Amino acid sequence: MEKADFLQLCRNYATSANYELSAKVLPVAREYLMQHNQTKLPVIWLETSDSGDNNIAFMNTTYPYLNQVLTDMIDLLYSNTFMAAQGSDALRLLANAVTTYDNRFTLIVEGAVPTKDAGIYNVIARTKHRSITALDAVSGLGKAAQYVVAVGTCASFGGASSAAPNLSGSVAVNQVLKREVINVSGCPVNPDWLVGTLAHLLMYGKPDLDELNRPKLFYNFTVHRHCQRRSYFDKKEFAKHLGDIECMFSQGCSGPRTASDCPYRQWTNHVSWPVKVNTPCIGCTNRDFPDGSTPFFSPLPEKLKGKKTNLNQPKIEKGAPNEPAKNPL
Amino acid sequence: MSPQKILFSPVTRLSGLLSVELTVDAGIVIDAEVSSTMFRGFEYIMRNRHVTDAVYMTQRICGICSTAHGAVASYLLDTLYDNDIDENAQYLRNIMFAADFLQNHIRHFYFFGLPDFVIMPNKPPFLNQNCFDCRLNTEDNQRLASHYAEAIKAAEKSHQILTLFGGKAPHQHSFIHGGAAVAPTADKVNQALALIRDIHAFVQRYMLPDTELISQCYQDYYHIGETPGCFLSFGLFRFGPKNDQLLWKDGVLNANQLTKPNLDLIQEDIAKAWYERAKWMEQNDVLPAPHKAGAYTWTKAVLYNGQHFEGGPLARMKINGFYNGGTSTMDRITARTLETLLITELLEEWLHALEPGLPPIQQKRELAQNQAIATTDAMRGPLLHYAHVENEQVEKYDIITPTAWNFSPKDANGNHGPAETALISTEIPSPDLKYIIPGRIIRSFDPCVSCATHLIDYSKKNTVNIITT
Repeated sequence: MEKADFLQLCRNYATSANYELSAKVLPVAREYLMQHNQTKLPVIWLETSDSGDNNIAFMNTTYPYLNQVLTDMIDLLYSNTFMAAQGSDALRLLANAVTTYDNRFTLIVEGAVPTKDAGIYNVIARTKHRSITALDAVSGLGKAAQYVVAVGTCASFGGASSAAPNLSGSVAVNQVLKREVINVSGCPVNPDWLVGTLAHLLMYGKPDLDELNRPKLFYNFTVHRHCQRRSYFDKKEFAKHLGDIECMFSQGCSGPRTASDCPYRQWTNHVSWPVKVNTPCIGCTNRDFPDGSTPFFSPLPEKLKGKKTNLNQPKIEKGAPNEPAKNPL
Repeated sequence: MSPQKILFSPVTRLSGLLSVELTVDAGIVIDAEVSSTMFRGFEYIMRNRHVTDAVYMTQRICGICSTAHGAVASYLLDTLYDNDIDENAQYLRNIMFAADFLQNHIRHFYFFGLPDFVIMPNKPPFLNQNCFDCRLNTEDNQRLASHYAEAIKAAEKSHQILTLFGGKAPHQHSFIHGGAAVAPTADKVNQALALIRDIHAFVQRYMLPDTELISQCYQDYYHIGETPGCFLSFGLFRFGPKNDQLLWKDGVLNANQLTKPNLDLIQEDIAKAWYERAKWMEQNDVLPAPHKAGAYTWTKAVLYNGQHFEGGPLARMKINGFYNGGTSTMDRITARTLETLLITELLEEWLHALEPGLPPIQQKRELAQNQAIATTDAMRGPLLHYAHVENEQVEKYDIITPTAWNFSPKDANGNHGPAETALISTEIPSPDLKYIIPGRIIRSFDPCVSCATHLIDYSKKNTVNIITT
């Protein structure tokens, strides 16, 4: 509403009884605040086919802690995990959220989307009239959202839920939506990657994305590039067993073809990561995880030899922009 | 008036996707069908992979109890390869496992359970809470609601302990076949001690009194959601070089008689699950059948000696003689809090038992046998993995999860599983309570549908269909 219209409205109702002025002004003020002072991201979180690990990882966020995220950053309007409402009350909240925040909410999808048999392998809720499949829900809500964020490797690329033989025909979120999807992959996602992506959306809008539509902020370099044990690799000092202090390449480490900042970032209040506990990176952020990473403990050249995975071998991940030409592959 | 149907979907505040359909006659539940509405099929996914992939792979079954799958897969591989587990590794493994238990129980009580009993602030994610039967006085209510934020930190600290030793959480890396790949060193042990002392203080200061207050204000729930008293536990916290010494014993408790579980007596039943036997396949395989008539869930029924059994903290506490109460909703909640306290104390004790040294792991390379079965209790009850391998490749991998026991659908004889039994004969005195009462009963089992719908012998699938009211 323009300023002149607003003043006119105030004048018109200035002397009327029964709080008529307030009744006219409040909706206008509310609308204004919503449009101009939007300090929190309205979020609808759909859990589809995954293990719920991304939810748990999200709960592990520190600075901001979960309660700070919920209070200061996002309005979590629908979440099977957290919401107090249940049954049809929960579905009503979902419907309200879509109406109220049409084109302004962020849809977070956690999990792959089964497509076989019209998606009946994953039903997020039933009503008296129908089963709402994950396929229905993601397709419908995806159209109405401002941003779609696929959290975890199942949602981003299919992940473990679409691992061979993939009996439910599960696919990534971007396979069922004709629109841009921001992928925040990982099995599970590191809470910093998700909360950081949400923070970027909130403060600066859409982040720069890599070829796999992941925020470059977190996925621009390989694990190998920043690994604390890179000097062992360069000197060809390889671990003989799990538990050794040398480079884990010999133990199946997927670090050279895996984009993530785990060596810097680390996990759960930044205290450790898989290589720090003397085990290999298993490439859980990759487009072809897990099939491209198994057998987990076979060195990379062996595990990729003649491999038939459920996904085409990604070309893009083999070395990030600054990866030296001398790649072990 | 003829019987009415209540469709309770989605049952929120749990892991995974669950719907429940109740038939109510004159205000009493006369039939209940619990429906897991997701299928993933991990048993199939494990086939033809190297068997040592099992620890990391099967953790992906579940986010909230991943370490349980990692643990039992490690025990399974230890048996297949005949590994000897160093004493330090035994402690490290149990420390990690215990930390994941604490995470689970704290999150279950506060994130999933609390909004059943306490009025939460009317803002997301607590909008439109049904407060019809919230009984705490204003002051107590406000205090308990504020403990939600404390629980967030305590649960995160539990996962910090797991991450310190396991590398990440969920889906830790170092609790693996052959031992533990991480070195128990003074810095890590000391850091973990600081964390567990905080968690211990949280449990004593908040979780115990909060449980007590809720159990006092909702005393009627000591008689709501009762089960017949058939409990099963595979035991918890394995020690010994061969993982064969259980700290908390296994047992089958039936009509107050305690016996040792005999794994040969376990059967799966797919009468009401969306699966069918494919006769043309070897191994009498089971395949998803999402349109099967009369079926209503992706969870298979699991039977022991032809009977349904309940697992979880209440089963463990009873079998070990730590708890003498009943079999109700509130007994399950109370037993879980009691277990949280006991595990907090054990974890601290185990940290003191560690000796500083190198990573205690030794993996043998030659298979000693080509099939094995391993069990443990997980957070919500008995968990079993079975593998048959050829040249280290998985031929068959079966998993029976706790939620398959607790959320078993009707079997071929029409007998209900524990959760359905708990719901049946419950009184729903008013339509305003049609979700509240069943919701409290269901959550007291701490269901994990992500788990339940893959495991077991074959996979499960979820959903759909079809049972409209």
